[in-house]
Parts: sequence; structure tokens; C-alpha cells
Amino acid sequence: MNQEQLVRIYKNSVLARRFEARIVELAMAGELPPSLHVGAGQEVAQIAAIEALRPADYILYGHRGVAYMIARGVSLADMLADMAGKEGATSRGKGGVMHVVDVQKGILGESGTLGGSFVVSVGVGMALKRKQPDTVVTYFFGDGTANRGPFHEALNWAAVQKLPCVYFCENNGFAISMPTSRSTAVENIADRAAGYNVPGVVVDGSDPVAVYEVMEQAVARARAGHGPTLIEAKVTRLQGHYVADQQEYRTDRNVVAEKDPLPKLQHTLCDRGMLTQAEVDGIQADADRQVEAAVAAMRAAPLLAPEVALQDVYA
Amino acid sequence: MPTLTYSQAINDALAEEMRRDENVILYGQDVAVWGGIFKVTAGLLEKFGPERVFDTPISESVMVGAGVGAASMGLRPVVELQFADFVITAGDEIFFKAGMWRYMHGGAHTIPLVVRAPSGGSGFGPEHSACPEAFIMHAPGLLCAVPSTPADAKGLLKQAIRLDNPVIYFEHKLLYQMRGEVPDGEALTPFGQAVVRREGEAVTIVAWQDMLRRALAAAERLSQEGIEVEIIDPRTLNPFDRATIIESVKKTGACIVVEEAYRTLGVGAEIGALLLEEALPYLDKPFKRLAIPDVPIPTSQHLVDAIVPSVDDIYRAVKELAD
Repeated sequence: MNQEQLVRIYKNSVLARRFEARIVELAMAGELPPSLHVGAGQEVAQIAAIEALRPADYILYGHRGVAYMIARGVSLADMLADMAGKEGATSRGKGGVMHVVDVQKGILGESGTLGGSFVVSVGVGMALKRKQPDTVVTYFFGDGTANRGPFHEALNWAAVQKLPCVYFCENNGFAISMPTSRSTAVENIADRAAGYNVPGVVVDGSDPVAVYEVMEQAVARARAGHGPTLIEAKVTRLQGHYVADQQEYRTDRNVVAEKDPLPKLQHTLCDRGMLTQAEVDGIQADADRQVEAAVAAMRAAPLLAPEVALQDVYA
Repeated sequence: MPTLTYSQAINDALAEEMRRDENVILYGQDVAVWGGIFKVTAGLLEKFGPERVFDTPISESVMVGAGVGAASMGLRPVVELQFADFVITAGDEIFFKAGMWRYMHGGAHTIPLVVRAPSGGSGFGPEHSACPEAFIMHAPGLLCAVPSTPADAKGLLKQAIRLDNPVIYFEHKLLYQMRGEVPDGEALTPFGQAVVRREGEAVTIVAWQDMLRRALAAAERLSQEGIEVEIIDPRTLNPFDRATIIESVKKTGACIVVEEAYRTLGVGAEIGALLLEEALPYLDKPFKRLAIPDVPIPTSQHLVDAIVPSVDDIYRAVKELAD
């Protein structure tokens, strides 16, 4: 990974962090519905993984945060419109912020049922293998969803068919309120890779360089026709499952901020002379400008017309 | 016109559409090497090769879910579920993914998926004998075909494969060996167009698949007694041709729905509600349903016979109304 890429990961992570913080503010103020599952703490891993993909590659994502979309350059205003049910909404008011879609940018969408895209990813892989060779699909999912049946069915059949799929688990240690230790018999989700005869790799999700390198290998393997890889990034969920979650169930909530990967990345970049403090300030100010411009655009956009509810059922 | 079995008509439809469009793929449990447990897909692997015709693990969720993903990326998958009951096994993938993936992404995706679902019959037990089309008819986003003749088996399947929406295509297990004339070449059966299988003035009967066969047999007996019933085969349940039923009821003033499915909230209930809303002034007699009395379908044949509407049941129901 070169310096330019690491700086881009930082920039996008800052933008994702600030954008989501602003969404929470607007939700608390009642201007937007409180439907976002904040991705703070996981966005560095998400964005670093996407950095290892080519623009033609595809993404199915989980419900935690909007960093995937930011890494692919989806319009912030359109995502706010998704939340507000306004013109510009990528899913036209049907899916909200949970189903942001931009096929041109490789963002295929999300399942409402948790882990529901495991099975969809297999079909995407089948189509890519036949129609777009040299292209891969990555499915980002949470550790909790790995306990649903579709995980097993999908991993097995994708492996049998040697599909160009990469499975990227973000293990934040919680399935909503339940710690992984109480829900999951194996220590690592990646240990299950043995059951599908695919490589299983555990990586520190707070280290973007390590995430990138692991992804690079998995993507190369998928592209070469050798089949899927199961990657597990150990990440930290800095906030609750949803906007108003007080996290009474969590014993580490007072110290969790120390695990934040974003200041760590910022220090690395500054220590290595890749960014000056002035540049860091500039990146943050630029992110805030983009966010405020998007908020203004969302506010100016008209609500979707009621008849839109009747559209898009059938082609 | 050549005479084919229902099963061969389905096989021909698959072969013709696969020859016409290389994006059509076919997969399911045991469909390739073995030709399917009902042998409907025999010979297609040899014709089209393992990239387009392939077997799957016993994994209904991923079979259907992958069909949605593949369809969204430009393939036109035809998935065989071994038994129609398994639309419930793969419920998330049928109802949420196939039915809603397009909607919840604001129309960004198009899902030209066909799920073939062998339904009905007896001796298979409660989880392998149902005709669960009412579940599909109830769900937004899913088209539903119920072919009753070899010609429609072929025409509806060819049409289903060409549509840009997900279709659940119910093929009735007891009809596989039924023979009938099938037009050569490009004969597509349009969705949403019922057909009147027999004309009459006494009572309108709506029935499809094996219940249609029984209704036609009952009609023969009734005819000998001078009672002429009108029999409507809906052919597809979504889209559903309401107009043909209402027009018929205007003429007969009475309607019986015969279905091989649970009575409560079945297709018959929907047709009853339709008549209440749009045809009440024309109904001279109480609306009637013949259906399975809300019990699972047993395995032993004589127990099945005790609950599935029979030719006698249809005959008696018409007689009661006609008297």
C-alpha cells in the first residue's frame, strides 16, 4: 500500500465519522429518523478493505454504518435523502439508509434480514464468473450474522463452485447486546473457514495496512478462480447498536474510546511525515464542509411523492 | 400439433429458452446428472453442459437467494425446488429477497428469476404435498403461474423465463404424465389471462391443475343430467384475471372455487372477497369453496382422499347450488 492510499483511507474515515456524527445529531433533534447503526470504530477496516478492490468490483454490505458507500464515492446528500425520504434517495424511500444502492459504483445493496446477503453474494459470484471474469464481490458482515443458516449454505456452495467472492467479517464482539463469547462456540469466526476448505484469516481491524494486505491476497485468490476467503477483522464498536442504545449490557463502555482506530491512524500518518497537523485540520474541515453541503442539499430537496410507495415492485 | 406430456412440455420449454438465450441457467437438487427426482430435466445437462445445468447441495436458502443475486447481475436463472413446500423453507429468499430486493433498492435491480416448484399429489406427507400458491399470491413482488395443461406448462414457462420479474412456477406432480397437444415453436402463454375451459350457464367453477381435472370430470357427469357448468382456469394467480371470473358470474350468478390447499385465506377466499366487492349484485347463490379443511396433508392415500376435494365433492356442491 502506498502513502497516497493510506491518506485516502484516513480522509474517507474522517468523512464517514463526521458524516455519521452529524446524522446522529439530526436524528436526536428529530430531523431524521434514528435508523442509522453507527459504524464508528469499524470504518477504518471497512474503508481499508475496499481500498484493495478495483472500481469494477462489487460490494454487498452489512448494516453498520455508511463508510462502504463513502469509500465508493456515493453522494452524501443522496444518502441523507434516503434517510429523509426525499428526492435523490438512492432507494426512493423504500430502504432508507439501510439499503443504499449505487450499482454504477459497485454498491449492490443490503439485506434487511441480518446476514441475508450471504446467499445473494453467491448468485452475484455465479454471474460474475460467467459474465464479468476478473471481477469479484465482497460481502461485509457482522460476527452476529455468522450464526445464521445462510452463512453456512453460502460459504459452502461458494467454496464448491470456487466463486469470486470474499467474505469480510467485522467482529466487534457483540451481536446487538450479546457478547460473541456467549453466542459463538468458536473463538474466531475465521476458524469456521476450515469447514468450507477455504482460507480463514484473522486480522487487526484497527490496522488499515494489515487489513489491506489480507484483502489483497483474498481478492487475488478470488480473481484467479481459486474461490472465496473468509477474513475476520477484529474491530471495536465505539457506540451502541442503534442511535439511542445506552449499552447497559456493556462493561467496557467507559474505556472503549481508547480502542478508536482513527486517532491511531492519524498519529501514524503524522509521525511518519505523511501528513502535517495543518493538513489534518484541512481534511477535517473539508469533511465538515462536505457534510454541511449535503445537509443543505437534503433540506432543500422535496419529499418523495406518496405514489412512489406504489412503484418499483415490478420491472 | 404434437402431443406431449406435461413433463416433456416443461423440458422442451427449458431447452428452447436455453438455446435462445445463453443467460438462462438451470440448477437445483439432482436436476443435472440425475435429471431431477421427477425426471423433468432429463437430458438438459447433456445438451447445455455443466456451466448452465448443475446440481446443488441441499441448501434451499442459497439456491433461491443465489438466484436473486445472479438475476440481479444479468443471468436468468431457473431454480428447481424439489418440492413446492420448500418455498417456505427458503422463505426469506422467496418472500424478502426475490419479492422485495428490487423494491427495497428503489428499482435499481431487476430480478428475472424463475423458481420451479413441484406441488400437490399424495403419499409424500405434510411437508411434501402442498400447493402453497396462496402464500405466493399474498406476497408482493412475486408472479405466480399454475399451468394445468401441457400447452400452458410450456407456454407459461417460456413466458416466465422471458419476464423481468420473479416467477414462482407451480408444476403439479400429478399432471406430469398428462398428455395434450402442444403447439410447435413460439407459443407463449400470456400472464394474467384466464381461459374458459368449458362453457355453461349453471355455475361458474374456478379451478386449476389437478382440481381443474376433477372439475372437468364432474362437469361431464353434470352435463349428462342437463346441468352445464362454466369452468375457468386462471393460469396465473399473479397477475390475476379478475375480469374473466366476474364476466362469468354475471352470466351464471353462482361461483365455486375448488382448490387443493388449506381453506382459510386460500385463493378461494380472495376470489370470494373479489365477488363481494365487485360482483355482489350478480350473485344469486351463496359463494362456495371446496378446499382442504385446514389440516396438514397426510401421507396415507385414503386419508388424503378424505380431505382433498374429489370429483364427487364437486358434483355434489354444484347439485346443491343448482337445485
